[in-house]
Amino acid sequence: MFSRILYPFDMRKASLNVKPYILKLKEAGCREVHILYVLLPSEWGLLAKEEYDSKEKIEALRGALDEGYVDALLRRFEKMKELAEEFESKGIKARVLMIPGELDEVIAEYAEKNGIELVALGITSESLSFFRVGKLLDVIKAVDKPILIVKTPEEEGDEEV
Amino acid sequence: MPLFEKTLYATDFSPLAEVALDYVKKLKEAGEKEVVIVHVVDDLSVELPEGADLLKEKELYKVLPEVDQEYVMSIIERLEAVKDILEENGLSAKIFLRYGNIPEQIVSVAREEKVKLIVMGAHGKGLLTEILLGSVSTDVIRKADCPVLIVKKREE
Repeated sequence: MFSRILYPFDMRKASLNVKPYILKLKEAGCREVHILYVLLPSEWGLLAKEEYDSKEKIEALRGALDEGYVDALLRRFEKMKELAEEFESKGIKARVLMIPGELDEVIAEYAEKNGIELVALGITSESLSFFRVGKLLDVIKAVDKPILIVKTPEEEGDEEV
Repeated sequence: MPLFEKTLYATDFSPLAEVALDYVKKLKEAGEKEVVIVHVVDDLSVELPEGADLLKEKELYKVLPEVDQEYVMSIIERLEAVKDILEENGLSAKIFLRYGNIPEQIVSVAREEKVKLIVMGAHGKGLLTEILLGSVSTDVIRKADCPVLIVKKREE
């Protein structure tokens, strides 16, 4: 029921607050966590819709994308790697990746293709975070898997980590 | 960390609510000890005060037509049956039966009982229904102070 968890991460405190819940679910069978950053079209322009799951793949975007963007992507990827290491140290296998596209479509498609059993989302009520309640409705509609929603008060949830 | 120690299980007794119950049972492995089982009635033929407690306020029964009284009694039996299932699984459980707006009452019991998590099923209703009636699960997410686990459909 909880063995493979998809953890959409948007670099905000609100999504970081989901981490303790996933760690706790290890006791109920969580073995694997997929940490996913969705590259919104508005943010990064048009990128080939593939899974950017290594520094090399992101580095290869230099030329196609503005240098500053690529550097920012790498910094985010590193941050997610740190998070992955924390899961690994607690005995949960972790995969880190970035996929461009619309939030609801990317999450739903990835969950379906990869045998995800639970999507764990951190949201704030209304903020700069991707995962606002309004946007969440689209995700809930699109995803067939169970979804754990962890809400964080707006003022602290919006903070970048 | 007691993240799942006390959970609220909201049920409408649908097949999807039964799937959600499996998740409630599974959470015992992650430290769950107590479950608050909630059902909200909003379809009686007599209007009752919002939030009326149909388990404790027995005098309310007197204003209800016989058919509603029987209906309420049958729901209490079903709630007791869910409670028995959870207790057989080694969890402590208590039941709540409220009258009123479904998401508001679920969230209200969650606050009163200081639960750590709400578990419920979400029906994939059509867009029109959602626009007209709103979705119970998204309203619960909007209003709840605690995390919510939404179960959508039966696992293959």
